[in-house]
This record gives sequence, C-alpha cells and structure tokens, in this order.
Amino acid sequence: MSALLRGRAFRDVAVVIVVVFGFGSIAMLLAHVSPLDGFGALFDGAFGTRSELAETLVQTTSLLFPALGVAIAARAGLFNIGADGQLILGGFAAGWIGAQFPLPGYLAIPMVLLAGTFAGGAWGAIAGFLRARFGANEVIATLMLNYVAVLLATYLVNGPLQQGGAGASETAGLPKAAQLPDLIADSRLTWAFVIALVVAFVLRWVLQRTVFGYELRAAGDAPEAAKRAGIDLGRTAFVAMTLSGALAGLGGATIVSGVLHRFNTGLSPGYGFIAIAVALVGNLDPLWIVVASFAFGVLQSGGVAMQAEALVPRDVVTLVTGLAIIALAGRRVVASLRST
Amino acid sequence: MQAVDGVDIELQSGEIHALVGENGAGKSTLAAIAYGAVKADEGSVVAGGVVGLVHQHFKLIERLRVWENVLLNREPRRGWVIDVAAARERVNRLAATYGLAVDPDAVVETLPVGIKQRVELLRELDREPTVLLLDEPTAALAPSEIASFFTTIGALAARGTAILVVTHKLAEVIAYSQRVTVMRAGRVVARHVTSETSADAIAREMVGGEVPALAARGSTATAPLLEVRGLSARSATSTLEDATFEVRAGEIVGIAGIEGNGQTALADALAGVVPFTGELRFEGDALRPDDSPASRLRRGIRVIPQDRRHEALVLGWNVRDNVVLGRQRTLARSQYAEAAREVIERFDVRPPDPEATVGALSGGNQQKIVVGRTLAAHAKLVVAYQPTRGIDIGAAVLVQSRLIEARNAGVGVLLISFELDEIFACADRVLVIANGRFAGSFDRATIDRGRIGALMAGNV
Repeated sequence: MSALLRGRAFRDVAVVIVVVFGFGSIAMLLAHVSPLDGFGALFDGAFGTRSELAETLVQTTSLLFPALGVAIAARAGLFNIGADGQLILGGFAAGWIGAQFPLPGYLAIPMVLLAGTFAGGAWGAIAGFLRARFGANEVIATLMLNYVAVLLATYLVNGPLQQGGAGASETAGLPKAAQLPDLIADSRLTWAFVIALVVAFVLRWVLQRTVFGYELRAAGDAPEAAKRAGIDLGRTAFVAMTLSGALAGLGGATIVSGVLHRFNTGLSPGYGFIAIAVALVGNLDPLWIVVASFAFGVLQSGGVAMQAEALVPRDVVTLVTGLAIIALAGRRVVASLRST
Repeated sequence: MQAVDGVDIELQSGEIHALVGENGAGKSTLAAIAYGAVKADEGSVVAGGVVGLVHQHFKLIERLRVWENVLLNREPRRGWVIDVAAARERVNRLAATYGLAVDPDAVVETLPVGIKQRVELLRELDREPTVLLLDEPTAALAPSEIASFFTTIGALAARGTAILVVTHKLAEVIAYSQRVTVMRAGRVVARHVTSETSADAIAREMVGGEVPALAARGSTATAPLLEVRGLSARSATSTLEDATFEVRAGEIVGIAGIEGNGQTALADALAGVVPFTGELRFEGDALRPDDSPASRLRRGIRVIPQDRRHEALVLGWNVRDNVVLGRQRTLARSQYAEAAREVIERFDVRPPDPEATVGALSGGNQQKIVVGRTLAAHAKLVVAYQPTRGIDIGAAVLVQSRLIEARNAGVGVLLISFELDEIFACADRVLVIANGRFAGSFDRATIDRGRIGALMAGNV
C-alpha cells in the first residue's frame, strides 16, 4: 500500500501548488472576492507579523507530530486514520497527570510529554494488536477508536478523573513547571517546535539507517517478500501502530503543555485528520513532511485572517486541501493502474 | 517500448508453424497483434477468416460451467433467455468433432489443467478459426498429454486450419511442426523447414551464439541434511500429502511434476510460511510447524520462491537493499555495499549498478539477484522453486551452474521445477510428484524419461 501512497515529492508539491492556487482562485471568484485580495490576506495573516509567523509555526508543530505518526504507519503498509483520537488521549493523559502531580520543572515537562506519548501509543497499540493477532483491518479499527477516544476522554475528565469544575470538559490548569517554555516571547510558540523537528530527523534516520526501519519499510513495500525474509509482519504492524499512536499522543501533549496549558476535549480541530493529508503531500518522508506541515500550517493560520479581512469563508481552505489530496491520490492510483 | 520490429511471418493453411525465441524476444506480442488484442504501430496482419488465440495462462471464468465458457458471448438464445439445451448440444457436437471429450456441465474450477486447456481450445474452435494461435500450449501438460494434444492439433491442421505454436520447448518443435520461425530481440533471425534443421541449431539461433555449458558436477556427498517423513501441508492453492524423502548435503534432489500438484505447499512448508503435519528434521533437529520463517533462515534453510516479483523482491528498492533482504539481521550496514558487489560480480547482474531500481531490471537479472543473495548467505539447504522461470537461456545456465557449484561445495539443493529438462540436467536424484503425493524416485543413473512422464500424469 505504501507504494500507492508515495509518489515523487517534487512533482507532488507542484501539483499541490497548482491545485491550491487554481481552485482556490476559482472558489474566491465564485464568492465574489479577488483572488489577489484573498491570497494576500491569507499570506499576510500567516507571515505578516512576528506573532503571526509564530502562530503559523504553532499550527505547523501541531500537525507535524500526528503527520509523522501517520507516515510511519503508512511506511509499514498501515493506514492510521486514528491519529486524532490518539492525539486527544495523549493530550488528556498529559493534562491530567501534569495537574495531578506537581513536580519540579526538570521532571514535570518530561513526565507530561511521556504521559501523552504512552497514552497515544497505547491507543495505537490496540489497533496494532488487533491487526497482528486477528488480521483486523486497521483502517476500520483506528477510525472507530477515534470516537471511543473522544468519548472516553470526555467521560474521564467529567467523571472519575474530574479536576476542573463539573461539566467543564477540561482538566485543571498545568502548573508553570509543567508548561513548555516559549521559543518566541509573548507568543504561543514553544520548544515543542524544536522537539518536533528533532523527532522528524530522528525518524528519518531510523527509517533509512536502522535494521528496524529497513524491516518496517520492507513489510510495507513487499509484505510477502518481507515475510519470507524472516520479518515478522504481525510484530512489525504492532510496533508501527504503537509508534504511530505515540507520535500523535506526543503531539497532543505538546498542545496541552505548550499552547492550552490544560486539557480540553475540544483541543483538536481535526489535526489528526489533516495530518493524513500532510503525510501524503510530504510523500511519507519525514523531512518533506516538515515542509508539508509548514504549508498546511500557513493555510490553517492564514485562513483565519483571510476570513476576517477578505471575507472569504475559511471553508475555502478546507476545500482546496481536499482537492489537493484528491489530485495526489488520483495521480497515484492512475500510476499504479498503469504499472500493472 | 518496442517488442517486435519489422516481423514478417507467413502461415500456410494446413501447417503447424512453430514460433520460437527466448523470453522477451517478442513472440507473445506478435501473437497478440495477430489476434488483435495489441495494436501494431506499423504493418498489418492479413488473415483469410477468423483468428483464434489460446493463451498460455488460461483465460477461463473458473466459476462458470464448461458450456458457459465455451460459448461466452455467443450463447444460443431463445428471446431473452439462453437456450441451455442447444448450448449443451453444441458443445457436445464440437467436442465429438475434434475428439476433445468434456462434460459441458462441469464447473471449470473443478477440472484438471489438461481439461481446462481443452475448454479453452473448444472456445476458439467454436468460432471456426482459419488461423489458430497457441501461446505456450504445453506449459501445463504432462508429457503423455502433450503427444495427444499435438495429435488433436494435427487433425485440425489437416482440415485446413493454419496453426502457429508459440513455444520455447525445442523438442516439441522438432517433433510436431512443419516449419519454424526463430525470433531474437523482436526480429526474425531464421526460418526453416523443420525437417531440415535441429534443436541445437535452433537453440544457437535463439541465443545468438553458442549455448553456454553447464558447470561440471563433482563427487556426491552422503551426509544426511534434511529428513522428511509423512509431511502434509496446505498453502492457498496447493496441497501436499504424506511426503517422505531426504536431501543429503552435496546433492541436488529434483522434484519433477506438473504445476499445481503440491509443489507450492512443499516449498512453503520448508520456508516456514505455512504449518505442516508430519516430521521434518534438519541436521538431526526437529523443525516445528509453528517455527517462524526467521528460524528457518537462522538454521541455514533458504528458499528461492517461485514468484520473484512478489515473494522475493521489493521492486521499488535498489539492487543493494534487495541483496541484503533476508540477511538484514546478520549483515552490518557497512557490509551492504560489499554484499551487493559480490552478487553483481558472481552473477553478472546488468547493469552492474547497486543503485539501480530492481523493478526496472529484466526478469533474468532480477532472478540472478534472488539466487545470488540466497547462495551468498551460506545456506546449508537451498530450496529452488522454478529458479529459471521466464529467464533467457544464458541467465538460466548461469543460475543452474551456480546451484551445481553450491552442491559441489556441500550445499543440499531441492530443485522444484516444471521443466523436466532442467531437472534431468541438474539433479542427482529425481522424485516425481503428482496430485500432491510423491509417486516415484529415480537415481541419476536410472532416470527413465517415459516412466517419469507417466508418473507425472498420475498414471501409477
């Protein structure tokens, strides 16, 4: 499957740019707005000031973690649709533990981030286990587990693990020690951004340079050959899904620790789903995914400004994102049909 | 890509005309053009009447009955409904006319391959072709079936049909054709009246030079390596029952049989990808049914799978990373380049570029990589399943020679092949498999071609 999801990064980026600007312009014209004004407002909103650029990088960071998670599963031949649920549970675990157990700074932040990583990893591991043990389709499992994750977090935060007010659907605020320090003063951009970049580089190194990465890619690219080469497909699926969930969970933890400073059931506007698009546009390559996350970060943060200033509905961003994915997926389906 | 270039072939009514050439010489493309399935860029096909084509890989609808397949799209109708009685009658009449007995109501998937081919042939005959193209028609037939197949074809030719047989089996060309056309690299390189040429001469023309000689075999060792007792196994489409045999270090044991008679189950059980019952001992240790493929590799058992594109290679990867596959746990990263160089040199992989994408290489070069990495891994037992399928003669001889050299060096080789000539050329002992059971055993000195052929067909 991963062969189907991967194309040529450079050409794909070109396709995305053409689709975003082409169809974006058409959509704006239909809304009686000049595309120049619309895209002007979008880019101004994304880069115009230092704080706007910082906000774009905050969005980049929040997309990068789950996108890396989606990518590592996809490289193993598995489609993780459940990054959003993994991210939410990771955020919950980070927020609850961070507020529940006040520790000094050098311990509090690692504890919060690890809690999110473990919770997300455990959630991914469920789908991985079902796949490895029973051959259950991971697409269905992860998709369904999204709903379970949201409802579970909502139940826990309002019920047995309640910290804030009743019915508030959020945990108590994190102590200062558990909050990631700012990277740019007076913005929401924290060291989470740096952590995300480091994780991307490490992930690329693991995929390309280690035996584990080699086996994971073999399992994704040619499962039958991999099996006969002594690679345990079930174990690979389990580990890949666990790692995938862990990355999404870490993403949730950085949102809680760096941006919101508490867990809230509405912390994700669908990061885990947009991450699928980011991973595809990034060609499942961690370094290209950094670039793709930034591009989508621009659309996310600029879209708000575009709506406010140029009166273009923010849905245009969603529209062109969807069209870009259809274009990429279509190209690869056509290519794979031709090759057989 | 240009598969055939400026080819002229003239078929005469009433003749069996053989078209021979190595894999990739353009034979099948030419047949497809003549049939009309592939468009020629240039030139034309002139046929006086209907052209029929019987494919190498049957194009039958397995779930349908014989008459439904034979009359597909030409069903006799009565208004909106198919006239089943008339259809049955038509198939029976056709079968009687050509001496191809079939049960019109049998479901195709329940039939043995020989009968399936009859169905395929009947389907074309129903269209009363004046030209009949047969692409590797004997690939799935037992030796005894081959003779009766050509008897039928001969009768058809005698009625005036022009017949073109695309094949790589030169013995059949010499025995049954009247004229022969030899292709190489998309061009016709020779035309003969069959009676005026020989198999050796045709082989030289196919290769474009002398056919390379096979490696010499050394003395046979006798240390037992693999002992199999009462082995039964089942893979997706293949069943093996109650097999008992052994492979010694330093010998090649050939498994002769027609495709689909249990060979896949045998290879998969040894590879550790399907469970088995019975007893498997390797160097005296029992192998367990739930052992992983990895544990087989660690013991020194390596299988060259039948389907290199799906079961052996990662087509999107380069040569170097594919050479490592199966040894990724034992080779250090710093050894990858050297491992690739070794296989490329010993097996003459072309292009000799470790960075080349494997999917872009020819089948022969892909197979050299699979065989090369298997032998380079210092396996004690090599199970080679159709190791020369679909590759040209030069590459095939190289692969066979390397297997013989490995045998000379003390490796036990189990050679599973559908090509009897390959088994006779390489094996020290021959075991015959038919209907999932072992049917006979021959030493190299006592090989009896006729008897082996009869056993392969299931005649005990």
